[in-house]
Amino acid sequence: MSGTEHWHPAALSGGLEPGRSAGTRLFDREFCIWRDTGGVAHAWEDRCPHRGMRLSFGFVRGDRIACLYHGWQYDEKGQCRLIPAHPTLDVPPTICVTTFPCVERLGVLWIYPHHMVEAPPDLPVAERDVSPVRSLYIDCAPAAVLRALTAHAQDIGPPGVPLLSFASVADQPIAAVQPFGAAKTALHIVVPGALRTQRPGARRQTAEWAEELRHDLEQTLSPGELPSTVCGNSTWPS
Amino acid sequence: MAELMLHDYELDEQCYKVRLLLGVLARRYRRVSVDVYPGREQCGARYLRLNPLGALPILTEGEFVLYGAEAILAYLARKYDPSRSWLPDEPALFGEVAQWLAFAGIELRAASLARLRALLETGTDDSDNVGAARRAFRLMDDHMTKRELDDARWFVGNAATIADIAMFPAIALSRDFGVDHDEYPALRRWMANVRTIPGFATMPGIPAYH
Repeated sequence: MSGTEHWHPAALSGGLEPGRSAGTRLFDREFCIWRDTGGVAHAWEDRCPHRGMRLSFGFVRGDRIACLYHGWQYDEKGQCRLIPAHPTLDVPPTICVTTFPCVERLGVLWIYPHHMVEAPPDLPVAERDVSPVRSLYIDCAPAAVLRALTAHAQDIGPPGVPLLSFASVADQPIAAVQPFGAAKTALHIVVPGALRTQRPGARRQTAEWAEELRHDLEQTLSPGELPSTVCGNSTWPS
Repeated sequence: MAELMLHDYELDEQCYKVRLLLGVLARRYRRVSVDVYPGREQCGARYLRLNPLGALPILTEGEFVLYGAEAILAYLARKYDPSRSWLPDEPALFGEVAQWLAFAGIELRAASLARLRALLETGTDDSDNVGAARRAFRLMDDHMTKRELDDARWFVGNAATIADIAMFPAIALSRDFGVDHDEYPALRRWMANVRTIPGFATMPGIPAYH
């Protein structure tokens, strides 16, 4: 799969509260992102090894996430620690979920969608103060969205990690581009500067701009543009 | 005082809206189970006298009969919520609640039909309904996204209203017809808030926790 060798944005950091889980996708592959009650974010394969239920439907308790179906609990390393139907069982170490590296930078949660034994490469994006606006989901192919947007925005990201700066738009939003699926793209949008420095209404105006951007893209691009090729070839930058 | 009776079907999200509000209002009522599937009892002569549309929920209180989830929510809130918070009196808030009640009845009907089709294999083609449901969910997510940016947690005003109750089941049950919550982050957070309302009730497909 193309793209596994890069970090990809998956959510706005502030949108995933402690003790919550959510589902997301990269190239149509399902991931569970969750934040433990200590505030640490995790990105896992979105499957409980027991019955294949999506773990993102489950619930977080402390530093563990439990499957909604039968309550199997997994610790922060993905190791199953408790099977409620067999509470005294010493759970075999083979029952574990595949975990992925996950970092938070620029107000965005990023996944490195490649199972690592050793440490992943650093995400080459510099940290700075930003304020979250919204995640925007567009029913168009990621490569087509990227191509359309680079006409209006400057790509300030490192190679393979599109990060678009809309300098001509009020409050100069920045969008991290998530290749969600063959016909779906997500933009995780922030504006520069800490929350206390934002002028009143700035983020709301940027959110309204984002809705118009989505409308324009969906009107301009056909939803199925590059439907089957985007996952596997050079249409997505690498 | 006449007994409050809800003619109800466990899997019907329209009925669930009423159970949810009765739960948060801590109002005692009698629940009459109607054999919707496979019996179609709601279309029999007895129930057509109560609701000629042949649909649930139906609320009765003595001789008084009311059908349609949104109408029942409005009635119950006006009659049994002394705090006046679930259906506010203030004209702008009242109007906004009415707007979302209509949205729940009209725009989210597609979600109900798509779910019925998926669960009971009724109706014919659900493709338009799923698309229409997704358009409605996106509009709701856009609304709640901007509400969050205004530091608000509910669809209308500063407290939960019957608009939140009326909007909740369609999106909470959308996985029944194959629509994930992945692309509705503001709705995911709002649904978590709804689950924290004291007296929150569950139904099959809607667990208490998240």
